[in-house]
Amino acid sequence: MAQHSNNQPPQLGEIPKPNTGWIWKTFWVLVGITALEFVFVFLMDPGTLRNTIFIILTIFKAFFIVAEFMHLKHETKGLIWTILIPMGLLIWLLVALVSEGSYVGESIQNALN
Amino acid sequence: MATTSTTQTLSSPSTQEQPRTGTWDGGNEPFKASYGKLMMWFFLLSDAFTFAAFLTTYGLMRHRHLAYTGTNEAFEFSTAYWPIPDKVFNAFPGLHGIDLPLGFVALMTMILIFSSVTMVLAVEAGHRMDKNDVQKWLLWTILFGATFLSCQAWEWSHFIAGTDEGTVMEDGTRFFGANLQRNQYGPVLFADLFFFITGFHGTHVFSGICLLIWSFIATTNGTFEKRGHYEMVEKIGLYWHFVDLVWVFVFTFFYLV
Repeated sequence: MAQHSNNQPPQLGEIPKPNTGWIWKTFWVLVGITALEFVFVFLMDPGTLRNTIFIILTIFKAFFIVAEFMHLKHETKGLIWTILIPMGLLIWLLVALVSEGSYVGESIQNALN
Repeated sequence: MATTSTTQTLSSPSTQEQPRTGTWDGGNEPFKASYGKLMMWFFLLSDAFTFAAFLTTYGLMRHRHLAYTGTNEAFEFSTAYWPIPDKVFNAFPGLHGIDLPLGFVALMTMILIFSSVTMVLAVEAGHRMDKNDVQKWLLWTILFGATFLSCQAWEWSHFIAGTDEGTVMEDGTRFFGANLQRNQYGPVLFADLFFFITGFHGTHVFSGICLLIWSFIATTNGTFEKRGHYEMVEKIGLYWHFVDLVWVFVFTFFYLV
């Protein structure tokens, strides 16, 4: 019976103050990168260099969303690698199929001419 | 009296729910993450494969078709080459006929990033067991999510209806807008991939909103408060951030590149 006092739910009167500084910092970083992308859309001619810049900026944005918002940065190393290694293989898939697409397109053009 | 209380203790659920501690009876937490969170991560990984397959297909098909080689100003829609996204997505609701390249998409991106922020704020409030704050931030997230979805609905209807001028197709007829067989913007696959990729993403946003509404009701009813933690909000948060993450990639590969 004496244990009953321990079974009481904890007093919820005191709620700690919110700690949201890091959230807003991440938000402004994401807004900044998106704004930068638009600067490149309007000030730079389309081309491989511009596309490379876009992809690098996208990976930066993805890093901030996954590391901070999804909290992956603060998980164990095992979990981080479990997520990142399969995603890394997708980069190979993308490069392989995009070059394959160029080759298919070229072949079709050559056959038509 | 003593016997009765023992029986009660044995049959009460608290005995069955005693934490397991052994290595092989479920007492382990691999990666120091709870079962639910870990499974959400693996689900998101598999979902990422699906989206990666879509975006890779987009890359393949785009490179398989001819690219437009003229100047940006002289660009005209034609089924012969892949269109420049700035020229397709340049409309804004209420500003008919004004050329605003990617303006509406920029707004949609901002809305979704902001909904991600309100979601983290809800998760953060959950850590502090602050029921009111969780409710407030969940509501904001639902609002921004629904706004994003409405924007996408407008984007779709504009894409389907087409421009005022339309495009003279290969058979000499003038065609307006897009469907799965024909579209005025470029090769057939351009519109198909637009519908599939943004549609699949929109479906994810819709499921996310359903989950958020459910968790808002559960928060209001005090379900998580009684449970002693807001981990469910955290898991739905992971899903919601993933949807935002996918949009970041769709935005780059469909609209910018």
